[in-house]
Amino acid sequence: MVGLNIPENFHFYLSAHESCTEKLLAEAKGLTAEDLEISPDPKISRMRKMVYSVRTEIHRMKGFIRLKPIGAHMLYGYLKPRHKIGDYIAERFARRNPGVIVVLGHSSESWISIFLDGKIISHHGGSLDKSLEKIISALNCSGDRDREDREDIAAIWGTYYASQYCPERRNIAAFHRRMPKGALAFAGLKLERNKNGATLDDFFGRE
Amino acid sequence: MVSLDKIAHLALESKFDSLGPEVSVDPDKLSSLGAGTRHDVCTSTFSPKSHTLPGVCHSFTHDGRCVSLFKTLYTNHCTHQCNYCTNASNCKEHSKIFSYTPEELASITLALYRSNYIEGLFLSSGSGRDEDTIMERVVETARLLRCKYGFEGYIHLKVLPGSSLALIQEAMELADRVSVNLEAASSSRMNEMSATKDYDSDIIQRQKYIRNLMKKVSLPAGQTTQLVVGASGETDEEIFRRVLYEYKEIGVMRTYYSAFSPQKGTAFQSREPQPQWREHRLYQMDWLYRIYRFKPHEIDHAFDENGFLSNADPKLAIARELLDSPVDPNAAPYRELIRVPGIGPKSAHRIMALRKRQLITNKEELASTGVRVKRAGPFLKINGWRDTTLEMWSA
Repeated sequence: MVGLNIPENFHFYLSAHESCTEKLLAEAKGLTAEDLEISPDPKISRMRKMVYSVRTEIHRMKGFIRLKPIGAHMLYGYLKPRHKIGDYIAERFARRNPGVIVVLGHSSESWISIFLDGKIISHHGGSLDKSLEKIISALNCSGDRDREDREDIAAIWGTYYASQYCPERRNIAAFHRRMPKGALAFAGLKLERNKNGATLDDFFGRE
Repeated sequence: MVSLDKIAHLALESKFDSLGPEVSVDPDKLSSLGAGTRHDVCTSTFSPKSHTLPGVCHSFTHDGRCVSLFKTLYTNHCTHQCNYCTNASNCKEHSKIFSYTPEELASITLALYRSNYIEGLFLSSGSGRDEDTIMERVVETARLLRCKYGFEGYIHLKVLPGSSLALIQEAMELADRVSVNLEAASSSRMNEMSATKDYDSDIIQRQKYIRNLMKKVSLPAGQTTQLVVGASGETDEEIFRRVLYEYKEIGVMRTYYSAFSPQKGTAFQSREPQPQWREHRLYQMDWLYRIYRFKPHEIDHAFDENGFLSNADPKLAIARELLDSPVDPNAAPYRELIRVPGIGPKSAHRIMALRKRQLITNKEELASTGVRVKRAGPFLKINGWRDTTLEMWSA
């Protein structure tokens, strides 16, 4: 059976929305996931859209954030989300890399997580740079970035990415729809380009 | 909140190493072996072995297709003579031969996974008479990832035609999904496409091995297959009959379709390319059977007298033939709702939930359930009214 879109724990997503208020959460308290899924009521419909918006951003950030290692115990990446999802995303990457400190953030905020022995340990800090400095100092691995220079994962990815393009299937409209510039910017990414067989239309986004 | 010092201290005590082995790779090899899989299709990218997470797309290429896996050949050396393939031994424009080592492939996969470029590995290979030697290396790569590096990402291994039962079992014990590419809709079509592959023993028999092994080996994302569409003049109906066999008898979880596109230097280089829409219509037909649960005799109405699908939604073609009386969304069972163009499984479930609470009396209410009202209108009636514009519904 095909599942419906609104999860049972939708209050979590609603509360993470940038425009969510205490009043809105109180109004949502008595509602069920089915109410949100099917109600034509405009107020409930707005809540549904807010839940979708948060879930969409979470989904895109899981895909678009790129992590770099520092030393043997830390991965870090840029994240400046629209909604309040920083800690959720950091936790997700910590679970994916057990025993490794995951640091995500931007110029004024950062989220730090580590997954150890089945438990998540988290910290919410100031700017990404400051948090990185503090952890590097605590780990005593400040000079351990040589390997990062030798091993250019972004270049490996770029070569592989270019190899996957089928020019006979060229579909620039689908590419731009699925790689929205706004979402990429939240993850600190620029739009990737297929250099092989690219035309001016590829750069201007015309079909 | 735990301090950063405490977190750093915990990380230092941890036995894990975020880096894994150092990566060094020849860009030409990476590019050439990656390009060898660019026509392979895959969608399921989460590893059900470890977490039940939904699939994630990490990027898209300019053809609009998702890049979520490190999709590559182990080697592009192949002694098969497949008339559509650039790696075939009878291809006149051979690219340079490259091969990975299991350690090399594992290290690239780990590095890309760690940096969140991919969700896992999709590993295929050229082969031929040495299929078990190559298959051993494919399995060894997966073993290194799972057992040496504790890799919990997704692994999809291609079972090479003619591989031994023992190696197939080993592959299944390590992978989330395995697949054998059918390529052709029948044995006679395969004979036209390849002089060296025996359809029944190299392909169908290997699929049966997987089906039988699944009774004792857990394969969370199941077995799948892929067809090259239109390389040997087969009809869509022929493909559909084969796909029915695959779903019913082999138990494949999904079938993928790849429209034939002639490649330079191959024996089929002068054949007509197949339009992308043909592939798209086959996927729609596949969904009608697999997700919408249409019966084969209903889907038969979508084929023309020559056995081809037209470039139109097959569901609409079937509805025109079979929906002779309008469907009432306030009363129709799920089975009937799902047969109306513009109503999918989700909107059908929403309609059924909504009408338990209130009667659906206007198009806004119907649209709020996700129904594509313009498309569904001609096949619906509500409160006794049937009107293609739906404007009278509120009357």
